[in-house]
Amino acid sequence: MSKTAPDRGSPPGTPRWVKVLVIIFIALILLFVILHLMGLGFGGHSLGGHTLLIEHGVQQL
Amino acid sequence: MTLTPGLRKFVLSAHVTFAVSWLGAVAGFLALAVFGLTSRDAQMMRAAYVAMEVITRFIIVPLSFAPLLTGPVLSLGTPWGLFRHYWILAKLVITILSTVILLVHMQPISHLSHAAAEASLTSADLELQIQMVAASAAAVLALVAATVLAVYKPRGMTPYGWRKQYEERTVSPEP
Repeated sequence: MSKTAPDRGSPPGTPRWVKVLVIIFIALILLFVILHLMGLGFGGHSLGGHTLLIEHGVQQL
Repeated sequence: MTLTPGLRKFVLSAHVTFAVSWLGAVAGFLALAVFGLTSRDAQMMRAAYVAMEVITRFIIVPLSFAPLLTGPVLSLGTPWGLFRHYWILAKLVITILSTVILLVHMQPISHLSHAAAEASLTSADLELQIQMVAASAAAVLALVAATVLAVYKPRGMTPYGWRKQYEERTVSPEP
């Protein structure tokens, strides 16, 4: 159990590790958006388009 | 509602089992995704993508929902609470986000599996294959982070938790 036990006054501030976690989370969201805008995948799934078969995908055909 | 000690241990055992099994299953998925992306053996590569869908549908998805049930039951049934401590809140957010992202990836996983089963993976699928590796690697990191949070329980009480603790002490002061 946390030993943080304030009795009165204002609530304790946000711990540093929470701020770090939030910054990492925001950075990952930004990375996702940037990659998506650049068309480098992560949701930009296109099932049509290219028809070339991957080499190792046709070896056994 | 407070859980009895026996019930608390039972739910805790279930929660740990589900959470760690989820991590292990996603690690297995990552291994298959890397293998599928790098393998030069067409049959093995196709088998990997078929196996990935089976693992996802029958193991990973059920295991992702189980901690969402046992976690809140465990935290609400003990003095920890669900919104009182940042580490519990962080775990909840990680679990919910991981489950949502997993469900979003169900369609591409299914597509890859069917394409591999029909031996018709195209160069357009390469993007999806890379995406599977990146997404599962990120999921492993997120689930490891959740496990570390559960073990270390870093200090930090939310304003809500602080207020509730203050109210409880005011209502029933210690003798």
